[in-house]
Amino acid sequence: MAWHRPSVPVTSDINVTPLVDVMLVLLIIFMVITPLMQHGVNVQLAQAVNTVMLPGADKDDAVIVAVSHDGHLYLGNDMVTADQITEGVEKAIAQKLDKTVYVKVDKQAQFAAVAGVVDDIRDAGVDNIALETQKIDKMDLPPSAYGMQ
Amino acid sequence: MAMAVGGSKGGPSHDINVTPLIDVLLVLIIIFMVIQPLHPSGLKALVPQPNHQKSQPQHNDPTIVVQVLDNGVLKINQTPVTWDTLGPQLANIYKTRAQKVLFVKGDDDIPFALIAHAIDVAKGVDPSIMVGILTPKMQAGK
Repeated sequence: MAWHRPSVPVTSDINVTPLVDVMLVLLIIFMVITPLMQHGVNVQLAQAVNTVMLPGADKDDAVIVAVSHDGHLYLGNDMVTADQITEGVEKAIAQKLDKTVYVKVDKQAQFAAVAGVVDDIRDAGVDNIALETQKIDKMDLPPSAYGMQ
Repeated sequence: MAMAVGGSKGGPSHDINVTPLIDVLLVLIIIFMVIQPLHPSGLKALVPQPNHQKSQPQHNDPTIVVQVLDNGVLKINQTPVTWDTLGPQLANIYKTRAQKVLFVKGDDDIPFALIAHAIDVAKGVDPSIMVGILTPKMQAGK
């Protein structure tokens, strides 16, 4: 012990090594989990002000259909063709009570692609869809930004 | 771990100064923790199933369809409106209605952002307005 050896002074510093260890581990955990938390593919969502929270979209078994800006379709994380959507959604919602299908559409996707997907989802017997959007407080981009009046 | 910090002899310290490292780590952890609770939000919409030999109860209110057309024209049924007057017009229409149903349709090459914006405006007028997406196939009654 230190007080037996007068030549070594008592240290007044806190040993921060364990703290750094814990911090590093936490950091790594958060870095690994964050990309995994996102369901479905990543698309640039349209912005909207009057949105509602969609807690169901965060669930592991949420049925998420995504439309990319170039019209590619994704069911969950898998790229699918239009005729696979109906079958896939039907299978996915068969055992579920909440039959809402979450649709993530890129803001630049054409309405024709969206209409096609909506038709396919509807054919699967779905009544309710939720269009995922990015919640903003105020619409900062006027419709004219898309060449509209 | 010997923490010989200068000490009585006044020699140089061997320890790395870890305080800036901890600062950076703490900030990173806080950033990642804040990113986490971004819960998804969105606009709910209806996709009504086709009626099978079931006649809809007749009501006098005509269906309201908001159309986003590709030459920059926005219409409520057949009446042209602008993005600025869409909200007030809808508010006027739905003020007296019991059945708050609205359909939105667009031309084929309209970007989805505009459809979402139209739905957004309607939800802003009254959150209880049920919005349906009208597709060409749905319109044909299939």
